[in-house]
Amino acid sequence: MITKINTKIKVALVVGLVFITIIIIFGVAIYFFQNKFSFEDFYKRLETRASISAKYNLEPDTLNAGSLKALRNHHLEKLEEEKEYLIEVLPGADVSQMSKKYGLPEDFLNDLLSVGRSRAKSGNTFFAGIKQVYDNRTYLVIVSAENYYASHHLMFLRNILIISVALVILIVVSLSVYFSRHIFDPIKQITDKVKQISTENLHLRLDKNNNNNEISELINTFNDLLSRIETALETQKNFISNASHELGTPLTSIIGEADVSLLKERSINEYQDSLKNILQQADRLDQITKSLLFLAQTGYKGKADFVETLRIDEIIWETKQIIDKLNPANKIFVDLSLLPEDPKKLKVKGNRQLLQLAFANVLSNACKYSNNKPVSVYIASSHALVFLTIKDQGIGIPETELGYIYDPFFRASNTKLFEGYGIGLPLARNVINLHRGELLVTSVLNEGTTVQIKLPLIFFS
Amino acid sequence: MVKNILVPIDFRVASLNTLKLAMDYCKDQKVNAVLIYAQHLDDSITELMFYSPRKIIRSLQSAEFNHALEIIKNRFEGILGDIKIELFHGNNKNFLNNFLSAQKIEEIFIPKTYELKITKRAFDPIPVIKTANIRVVELEWNVTYNKTEQEQLIALFN
Repeated sequence: MITKINTKIKVALVVGLVFITIIIIFGVAIYFFQNKFSFEDFYKRLETRASISAKYNLEPDTLNAGSLKALRNHHLEKLEEEKEYLIEVLPGADVSQMSKKYGLPEDFLNDLLSVGRSRAKSGNTFFAGIKQVYDNRTYLVIVSAENYYASHHLMFLRNILIISVALVILIVVSLSVYFSRHIFDPIKQITDKVKQISTENLHLRLDKNNNNNEISELINTFNDLLSRIETALETQKNFISNASHELGTPLTSIIGEADVSLLKERSINEYQDSLKNILQQADRLDQITKSLLFLAQTGYKGKADFVETLRIDEIIWETKQIIDKLNPANKIFVDLSLLPEDPKKLKVKGNRQLLQLAFANVLSNACKYSNNKPVSVYIASSHALVFLTIKDQGIGIPETELGYIYDPFFRASNTKLFEGYGIGLPLARNVINLHRGELLVTSVLNEGTTVQIKLPLIFFS
Repeated sequence: MVKNILVPIDFRVASLNTLKLAMDYCKDQKVNAVLIYAQHLDDSITELMFYSPRKIIRSLQSAEFNHALEIIKNRFEGILGDIKIELFHGNNKNFLNNFLSAQKIEEIFIPKTYELKITKRAFDPIPVIKTANIRVVELEWNVTYNKTEQEQLIALFN
């Protein structure tokens, strides 16, 4: 809870601060540059006036002077508190006396005398002046005025900026607080809903929201995860019931057989018969537990480290020999029409026993479920993979059950007539997965099953 | 002497069976194969400006198809030289004969029963191929290919 509140505040702070900073920088910059520009502009206006007035004051007799004066009076706006000074600088004049006499700043006059032109500001009054030499006499022409624009317009601008910045800050702060509160609402909803889901009601799913955003992606991910967990749990439940059933059947037979034979005294032959039956069932039990153990062992990933280099066609032939011994009636044909010419393209890294076990399981299944109809084995290899395809003409697998065939102890609904306990295929698949391969089953009911195995070739793995 | 052969395909794994049977047919002779995919040329100007047969071919090749092609290459490593995939745009005899002489094709192999899959812009080149000036060999597949079957490598194993 604390971390979540922190995230909210963090979001609000970051968004708010960023916006406020930008707004303040914006406002200050506008005011600063406008201020600077207006001063510069005003000084220029004063200087223009000074130079015009120098023209008509110092050269009063020319034709130009008259027209300039008329121009000035008619067309140049009278500035606030505008004053014109024409000062003749006598040699040896005292600057401080001059400044007192005309009410001009002393530094300004000093500057004007030494440089030739100068600007100054005292309070709201601005001064601009130029030094002119006429008839060997030095004059200072000075114009002073109050900057109405600076004092009024700029003030107005400043007030507007301050008020609008304050308003924007207010809006930004409230918006960022609002959004930071509500942006996490969907996540909170998800959290609440997920909290309701436990092992008892795994079928529950999060409500889909239709916006195609990150939240709906998160919801979908959660739902997928829940589906996987549900399937895994289901499989586990099935496994336990199937396993206890498979283990229980021979045990029940053993107990029943022993019970019946102990009911009364029997002949030696009868005892031998029942002991034989018990032995048979015990053998079966032994086989199941052994293959279960194998399944568990091959189920661990990453443990296996294969160093042996094997030729896949060799393993197929060896497996065929094993099956020939167990089931002499089999009709397994190995098709070599697509066998690569280069034997290097048949070499894989792996464990001979495990691969033989896997192939033997697949091949004997193919023979078993097709009642020893022909089974074809094709070997082919691309540049990186070797492909094995095992095709039978057996009973096939119902389409709806194809998804479960890799579950231990699962047996398809049409296999009641065949003996088996549903460990072979998962075991084969585990072995192929261990070799970083892939095992794929496709099937058409009553037409046959095709098992396709891909294994990586040695110089690519 | 290397023989150049031509085989029409439709980018399904099954259509590569023709090539496989053609290679069996050619026995020990060295062969360069040209696979053609027949497709009408687009008539919009922009399409023609950016016309790139390599790109079209690449977009049509599936992973399964490439695997199947590699399998055939590996199977006939000794006698199969180059495999070229070309687009075939003209549905008339002159275009075909020009194409054949440009590619120096000496023999054409077509499937007898298999029907090439005709998608939007593709057309079946077999009728026009049959009018070629050079020898056309029709190959019979001993197994009928189930058209409803999903596109899978299995199609190559008959």
